[in-house]
Amino acid sequence: MPDVPARPWSRKDLLGLEELSSHEILHLLDTARGFQEISTRSIKKAPALRGKVVLNLFFEPSTRTKASFSLAAQRLSADLVDVVKEASSAVKGESLVDTGRNLEAMGVDIVVIRHQQAGAPALLARNLDACVINAGDGTHEHPTQGLLDIFTMREKFGDLRGKKIALVGDITHSRVARSNIWGLRKLGAEVGLIGPKTLVPGAFKELGVAIHHHLDDVIDHYDVFNILRIQTERQQKGMFPSVREYHYLYGIDQTRVSRMKPGVLIMHPGPINRGVEISQEVADGENSVILRQVTNGLAVRMAALVLTQSAKETHGG
Amino acid sequence: MSEAILVSGGHVIDPANSRDEKASVLIIGGKIAAVGHVTEADARNHGAKGKVRKLDARGLLVLPGLVDLRAHMGEPGRDSEETIAHGAEVAVHGGFTTVACMPDTEPAMDNVAAALFVRRQSEQAGYAEVVPVCALTKGREGKELAEIGQLVEAGAAAFSDEQRAENAPAAILRGMHYSAMFDRAVIEFAQDPELASGAMNAGYECTLAGLPGIPAVAEELAVSRACMFARETGCHYHAAKVSTKNAVRALKRAKKLKVRVTAEVAVHNLMFTDEVVRARYDTNFKVFPPFRTPEDVKWLKRGLQEGVIDCLVSAHRPVPPHEKEWEFGRAPFGAVGLETALAAAWMTLVGGDVLSRSDVVAKLTINPARVLRLDSRKGSLTPGHDADVCLFDPAKRWTVTPESLFSHAKNSPFLGTKLEGRVKATIARGRVFEF
Repeated sequence: MPDVPARPWSRKDLLGLEELSSHEILHLLDTARGFQEISTRSIKKAPALRGKVVLNLFFEPSTRTKASFSLAAQRLSADLVDVVKEASSAVKGESLVDTGRNLEAMGVDIVVIRHQQAGAPALLARNLDACVINAGDGTHEHPTQGLLDIFTMREKFGDLRGKKIALVGDITHSRVARSNIWGLRKLGAEVGLIGPKTLVPGAFKELGVAIHHHLDDVIDHYDVFNILRIQTERQQKGMFPSVREYHYLYGIDQTRVSRMKPGVLIMHPGPINRGVEISQEVADGENSVILRQVTNGLAVRMAALVLTQSAKETHGG
Repeated sequence: MSEAILVSGGHVIDPANSRDEKASVLIIGGKIAAVGHVTEADARNHGAKGKVRKLDARGLLVLPGLVDLRAHMGEPGRDSEETIAHGAEVAVHGGFTTVACMPDTEPAMDNVAAALFVRRQSEQAGYAEVVPVCALTKGREGKELAEIGQLVEAGAAAFSDEQRAENAPAAILRGMHYSAMFDRAVIEFAQDPELASGAMNAGYECTLAGLPGIPAVAEELAVSRACMFARETGCHYHAAKVSTKNAVRALKRAKKLKVRVTAEVAVHNLMFTDEVVRARYDTNFKVFPPFRTPEDVKWLKRGLQEGVIDCLVSAHRPVPPHEKEWEFGRAPFGAVGLETALAAAWMTLVGGDVLSRSDVVAKLTINPARVLRLDSRKGSLTPGHDADVCLFDPAKRWTVTPESLFSHAKNSPFLGTKLEGRVKATIARGRVFEF
C-alpha cells in the first residue's frame, strides 16, 4: 500500500478521526488490543507513563469518559489531575489558551479536554507543547468514542470492509456520529444515517454515506445499529414534535430487533434514555454490546495516551 | 492651508470624471485645483503661493481617496482597545480618506451628541475623515425611531441599526418611510437575526466542523424584505455586506423594477470560502456574514460585473488578540480590512478579469460617496472637491504579517497571504502621508 507511513504513529495530539489514515486507526486499535490484557491481571498496572502527568480538563459534565480516561492514565502509572471548569467562567475569566498555558507550566504532559465548543482542542493543541487528546468538542468529534465503537465492531466482525453500519438518531448534534462516520468510512464500511430530516443533515451524503428517514424500510439491511442518545432539549427547540413520536418512528425495541439481521450488533455510546431511543429489553438483550463498549473504551484510551506521549518524545513536541 | 501640492507622472483613474490617463493633480489649500497637464508654472495661475510640494507618482496609479462605507471603530465604548483617531490613521495606510463608522458602539450612536463626538474626534485626529452612520432606532432596539431629522443636521451620512438582536420589520418599514423625507440611505443589515445566529456558513463544511450554521436563506430573506420596503416607501435602501447567490438575485430583481436600492460586498467575502474554517478553527476567519461557498463567490463577482453590487467595503472590525484566542464558536466576529481591501480587490477583480480598473475604483470611491451623499466633495478628483488622493502601486508584492499592518488589532484573514499592490501615499484633505 503506497500510503503506509514510515512510523505507524507520529501525532502528539488526537483531535479527530478525520485527519487519521486507516493505518493510524488500525495501529491505535492494535495497540489497544495489547492493553486489554492488563485489565485481566490481578495487578492492573503498566509502567508506560510512570512520572508523566495527565490532566483531565473537562468543561462539560461527563461520567464515563472522564472515569475511563482517569482509569486509563492510572493503569499506565501516570499522575492524574482533574480540573472541571464551568463553561461560563471561561467567558468572564481567563481564556482556554491561558488556562492551558498555566497548567502546562505546572508540568502537565497530556491534556485530555472536553469542551462544548467545536475546535477547542485544536486551539489548545496549537498553543501547547503538551499532548492534547480530544474527549469530545461540541458537535465536532469524539475520537476515542469513535475508536472504541470501531474496536467493538471489529471484535465481532474482524475486518469491517463491506460491513453495513447504521447510526440512528440525532446526527446533527452528535460528535460521536461524526467520529464514527470518518473512522468507518476510512476502514471501508458502508455507513447509513437514520433519523428525522431535522436531525440528519443532507450534507453528510458528500461523505459517501446513505441517509434514511424511515427506519423500518432499512431495518434488515444493517449489521450494526449504533443508537445515539436523543436529548430532550432538542425536542424543546422544535427539532422533533415529541419523545413519543420519536420513539414511534425511531425507537429500537424488541419488535424491531426481531426484524433485523440475525446476530445484529446493538450499540449505544451512553448515557441511555431507556424507553426513548432504545427499550429496556434491547439495551440489556443478547444483541447488545453496550457494556462491552465501556470496557473496550479503557483499552482504547490507554493506547491514545501512550501513542501521543511517545510521539511527542520521539519528535520533540 | 494654502499649501500647493503637485502630484505628477502618475496614471490617473477617476471614474466620476471618466478619466483614465497619464495626468497630474494639483492641490491647493486642501482642495483639488486642477487635473490634467498641469505644471509647476500652471500652479501659480491657480493661485498657489510659496513653494509647490512635488510628489513623484511615476509608475503609480493616482486614484481618488478611497471611501469606505463600513468600518467599526471601538469608540465610544471600547476605546481602551481602539479609537476613532487610530482607526482613521489605519485608514490612510490603506488609501482610505473617508470612512463611515457604524453605530454599534456602546452606547449606540443614536443621538446628536454622539454624531458630533465622532466628527470632533475625526477632525482632531486629522487623518481620514470619519463620518457617522447613525442608528435608525433608539438604542438600535428596533422600537422607537431615532431623531433622524436632527441627526441629519449633525452630519449623519446614513442610518442603520446594524445587527439588531431582534427581528423588527415594523421599525424598519417606519424608519424607511421617515428617512425618505431627508434623502438619506437606510443601510439594513442583510441577515434575519433569528436564523443567522450560528458561527459559520451552514452547509457541508459547517456540518463537518460541528459548528452552528448561518444559512444563506437568512440573508435572502432580509434582503428581499428590505427591497419590498424600499419599493413601498421610496426610501434608498442600501444592502449591507451581501454574501450569497440568492441575495444577489433578489437585488437584481429589485433593481430591474427600479426600486431605489444599492448594495455592498466586503472584500474578504470575495477572497475566502467556508473551506478555510475547519482546517484550524482559526478565528481570524470568523466574520459576519461568514465566508460562503465558491458558488456564492461566483455570484458576488457576477453581481459586481452587472452593477447589482455597487460598492466594495473593508468591513474593518478590530478585535483584540485575547478575544480572537477564544474558541471559534465563542470568539467575536470581525476582521480588520482597511489596509488590505484595495490590494485584495485589485488582485481578485482586476487580476481575475472580473472588473476593469476603473470599475474597481468606482466601487471604492464615487459609488460609496453617493450612498453617503458625500459625492459633492468626496470620491472623485473634481476641482473644488476635498483633496483626497490615493497613490497606489499595483505591482508591489507584500506578505501580510502582524508587523506589516499598522493597525493595533491584527485580526486579519489575510495573515500569511501574499498580496500584490500597496498604497505608497495618501493625501487626506491636503495632508500628505507617505509610506
